[in-house]
Amino acid sequence: MESLEQEIKELIITALALEDVTPTDIEPEAALFVEGLGLDSIDALELAMALEERYGVQIGDDPELNQRIFASVRNLADYVNEHRAH
Amino acid sequence: MSPARSDRLPIATLLEGDPDDRTPVAFDRRGLRTRGGLRRDVSALASVVERAGVGRWLLRVEDSYAAAVSLLSLARAGAVAVFPPNGRPETLRRVAQGCVGALWDAACRSDAEAAGIAHLGIDPLDPPDPGPPTTPARIDRERPLVEFRTSGTTGAGRVVSKALRHLEDEVLALEAKLGGPLREGTRIFATASHQHIYGLLFRVFWPLAARRAFQSETLLHASELIPRMAECEAAALVTTPVHLKRMAASDGLRPLRGICRAVFSSGGPLDAETAKSVAQQLGAAPVEVFGSTETGGIAVRRRDADGEFWVPLPGVAIRCPGDDGRLEVTSPYVSVGESLDDGRGRTLLGDRVAIGADGSFLLRGRADRVVKVGEKRLALPEMERLLELHPYVAEAALLVREQAGEGRVHAVVAPTPGGWEALRREGRRGFGAELTRHLSGSFDLVLLPRAWRSVQALPRDAQDKLTVAALDALFVEPAGAAGEASRPDAPGLRILDETREEDAFERRIEVTDRLPQLEGHFDGFPVVAGVVQLGWAVDAAAAWRGRRPRLAGLEALKFSQPLRPGRTLTLRIERAREGRSLRFRLHDGEDVFASGRLLLEEGDP
Repeated sequence: MESLEQEIKELIITALALEDVTPTDIEPEAALFVEGLGLDSIDALELAMALEERYGVQIGDDPELNQRIFASVRNLADYVNEHRAH
Repeated sequence: MSPARSDRLPIATLLEGDPDDRTPVAFDRRGLRTRGGLRRDVSALASVVERAGVGRWLLRVEDSYAAAVSLLSLARAGAVAVFPPNGRPETLRRVAQGCVGALWDAACRSDAEAAGIAHLGIDPLDPPDPGPPTTPARIDRERPLVEFRTSGTTGAGRVVSKALRHLEDEVLALEAKLGGPLREGTRIFATASHQHIYGLLFRVFWPLAARRAFQSETLLHASELIPRMAECEAAALVTTPVHLKRMAASDGLRPLRGICRAVFSSGGPLDAETAKSVAQQLGAAPVEVFGSTETGGIAVRRRDADGEFWVPLPGVAIRCPGDDGRLEVTSPYVSVGESLDDGRGRTLLGDRVAIGADGSFLLRGRADRVVKVGEKRLALPEMERLLELHPYVAEAALLVREQAGEGRVHAVVAPTPGGWEALRREGRRGFGAELTRHLSGSFDLVLLPRAWRSVQALPRDAQDKLTVAALDALFVEPAGAAGEASRPDAPGLRILDETREEDAFERRIEVTDRLPQLEGHFDGFPVVAGVVQLGWAVDAAAAWRGRRPRLAGLEALKFSQPLRPGRTLTLRIERAREGRSLRFRLHDGEDVFASGRLLLEEGDP
């Protein structure tokens, strides 16, 4: 699980071309959007695509579910772990 | 302009008739909204608005059916809807000041709570006290109905006002020009927001006028949206380049072939590759729409038919009156008295064009510094002025450059002494985060700068002008360095500042004790190995020149004294007199740590 979290942190940094951010800067339970890492709506689309491509997970449009999935690296890792195709 | 078919009736007439009419007007994953339901919802909300006061009402709802109910209710009560430019707390507070009330749905209520004004608003689909309205179900087409505000963070924001007539006439023109393929029963799906003029016209008013059902929720993920569209007999999509590009990736639109009758794209330039990919998947290129909040739609094109040329919409006249190439538009959809209007219905835009003999035109960039990011408009000078109000910033310059496939705002600042102090204390990330916080109360999040550079003075050319090229050069990353331990901004090594001269490049760096390269060198007495210092020099040379140097060798290499963590240093790279080489020097004033020459391969210019 920890290695998946690490992978997802790296995926976030490379897929979104974040500058001045290293995996150690991202706390597994810290917020990714707005407060916290400060990701925005374009990032959300890009990140969903990167997750689909890398792990074969489908990201839908249920706002409440997405809010939960994308809340933190830990939640993303849990979701990927449950739904991954490869 | 009179409707050509009997089913294209004025929008106002939608409100007259049977409150049990079950014709669909909107749909989402939960079900249908009917014409009868629309009549009841409008009647209930209009009566609340009438009682509360008929001035300006702030309108911010996520759901497009709620937007339609709100607009028709305000129109019926004789009130005006004000769309704030974004949902940020300071913006909402500022716009709310001039309003008698506010309408927002559950999805937007948290924005209002953050702004501390949630008590002012009501949910348009769940109004508190629906009594019978006192006015008849008739709408005056000529009254102002909608106001769009620009952000106006450091001054008065501009106001663009539209009467129902402007919106209705425009969508009837759209129907005449583009409605052909949208046969009876076509469902209108959309990813573009109705908070901007494009989405408001294409996803709400056009379907209302043409009596087509529109999607009231917004599904942004292709995996969710495309299966819904594929269930329809006929559908159309109102989208933006940001979304279309991602939906068209890996043949994602293919299941819609034969179903999706048209794709509309606006809100920014669509890249030619996406246009071509959509044409291959669906059989027709997207209809790209060029317009502005002030003018509404100006021109359309389909890459497979029109190439790069934009064809003006019916009723729109264009000219290019001045030497600066700016486009002037005369359009029936512009309300006279707009801020850009000359009093005779002519609007001069910031877009430069070249007009062809047949009246179609090519876009030639902007004459001002107004940019689009996502579908959001940003006047760069406005954000620069707000940045300069922060105590860390003496001067700021912004530019848009590509990052992860999207044009994003990048910031260059000349810090004040206090700013330099903060930069040393917090590092570049903490410094940028503080300035981002300063901006985030007023600007949409997608507009916030994605990367920061600090310089002693903003780079100016011989005429003392800032140039985009010089600003852009500050962001060029050394190729292949990202993610590696040798990456210039690896943990522990902070780049504080960069300056460029004609023949030299300087980086101020801070070596902290978190440097991963210190591992094993040596317990109890950490020093930075010479090869690591050399790596920094090569990285800096790469950042300066925009590409990694191809090394043929090293000369006059000297490590004069051990480099311990905790130092702040200058790394200077300059073109050496000795032929094909770069000289580097790592020093802190008189204290020199390393120096030498990087010899470049033949063919590395």
